[in-house]
Amino acid sequence: MPYPGRMGRGSEMGRGPYEKSGLLRETSLPPMKTTKETFEIPYPFKSYEKDGKKTRDLINDEIVVDIKLWYLPFGEFEGHEVVFFEEQKKLDLKTEWKWR
Amino acid sequence: MRKILRIGLPLLAVTALWTATAYCEGGPKPAEQPKAKTIKELVERYDSSSCVECHEEAHGQWENSLHSRSMLGTGRTAPTIITAMEVGVKNFPYSGVKDDKDITVEHLRMCTKCHLPQLEDATDDVAREIIATIKGWQQAKKDGNDDYADKLEGTISSLNINCRVCHNRMAIIHKWSDGYAQPDTVYGSKEGAHDDPNFPKMAVAPALGESIFCGQCHGQGPNFELAHPSQCATLYGSYLFAYTAEGGSESCQECHMVKSGLGHDMQSYNSEEMRKMAVDVEVDGRSLFWRKNTAEGVIPMGIINVEITNKAGHTIPDG
Repeated sequence: MPYPGRMGRGSEMGRGPYEKSGLLRETSLPPMKTTKETFEIPYPFKSYEKDGKKTRDLINDEIVVDIKLWYLPFGEFEGHEVVFFEEQKKLDLKTEWKWR
Repeated sequence: MRKILRIGLPLLAVTALWTATAYCEGGPKPAEQPKAKTIKELVERYDSSSCVECHEEAHGQWENSLHSRSMLGTGRTAPTIITAMEVGVKNFPYSGVKDDKDITVEHLRMCTKCHLPQLEDATDDVAREIIATIKGWQQAKKDGNDDYADKLEGTISSLNINCRVCHNRMAIIHKWSDGYAQPDTVYGSKEGAHDDPNFPKMAVAPALGESIFCGQCHGQGPNFELAHPSQCATLYGSYLFAYTAEGGSESCQECHMVKSGLGHDMQSYNSEEMRKMAVDVEVDGRSLFWRKNTAEGVIPMGIINVEITNKAGHTIPDG
C-alpha cells in the first residue's frame, strides 16, 4: 500500500482523507513491471551434541508453504480483505544432512 | 477547374462545420437551478429510474457496482466521511466547523467532489442532513435497531453516481471548447432523438470513452483546487505517469467495461474477473543448506521466489 504523507508535509504518515495529500513511500505494484519477492523459510531443526561434536537434525524434512497475495484495506483483516492469488507449494529436503 | 472549386469549396465548408459541431455537443452554460433543500429533493433531481425501461442490462450492471452506493461504499465510506469531519474538519482551527450545524457543502466537498458531485446542486442543509443520516445509521446499527438502520442505509445508498451523473452532469469535461452539458440531453456515443421526456436529445460526449473521463474522480493526487486539499485516489496519475509513460495504451473503459465483460458493473479488486486480469503471479520453490556463519552454522532453508506482474493500467492497489 502507498504510505500517504500527512498534509504532504514532513515524514509522518496520514490516514484520513482530510490529511492525505502526499506520498511518503509507494509500495504498490507498479504497472507494466514485474515485482520479485524472495522468502527464506528455515526448516525446523534441533541442535545437539553427538560424540562430543555439535550436530543438527531436521525435525521435519517437508514444509508446506501457502503463498497468498492479499489486498488489505487499512491494514486490518476485518472482512474487506481479498486474496488476489493463492498457491500452495510443497518443499522437501529429503537428503542426508551431513554436518561439516 | 472553376467547376471543381465550386463543388470543392462548399464541401470543404460542410466538412469544417461538421468537425466544429462534432466538438460542440454541449451548449451554453445552463441557467442555475434552485438548489435542492433536502436529500429527497436532490435524489429526485438525479433520479435515473426512467433509464431502466430501455437500459435494463446497463442499469442492472450498475446496481452491482460501488457507483450505485458511492456514499455508503462497502460500508466503510460513510463512516470515513464522518471521521473526516470529526477528526479532521472540526479540529482544524480555520475550517469554521466546531459542530455539525457548522458543516456546509464546502466542508463535505473533499469527499463529495468524487463520491457525490451533484451535492454542488444542494444547499448546506443537505450537507448537514447527510451527516445526520450517516450518524443516525451508525447509531441504529449500534443499538441493534435493524429496521431503522436499513431505512437510513437506503437513504445513504440513494446518494450515488448514477446514469445522470456520468451521462449528463460529468459528461463534458472541456466546457469552453465542447460546451456545457445541456439539461435536456443525455450524453453517450450516439446522437439524435432520445425516448425520454426529461431527456429528449442524445449527443456524443467527446471524452466519455476516454480515460480522462474516469480521471475526473479517480484522481491524479491532491485536489489542490479545494481550500483543504485531500487525496484519496491517485489512480489517474499513475495511469498517466507510470502506465502510459511506459508504453501502455489501453483506456480505463477498455479494461474495466469491455475486456472484463462487466459493462457498467465497474469493479476493481472485489471482482474475481478483475483480479485475474490485474496480476500474473509465478511461484518457484527450492531447498538448500545455507552455511550462514560460524555462530549460527548451517541452516536448512526453503526458498520461495515470487514474481508478480501488474498487468493493469495503474498501480495496485489504488482507487
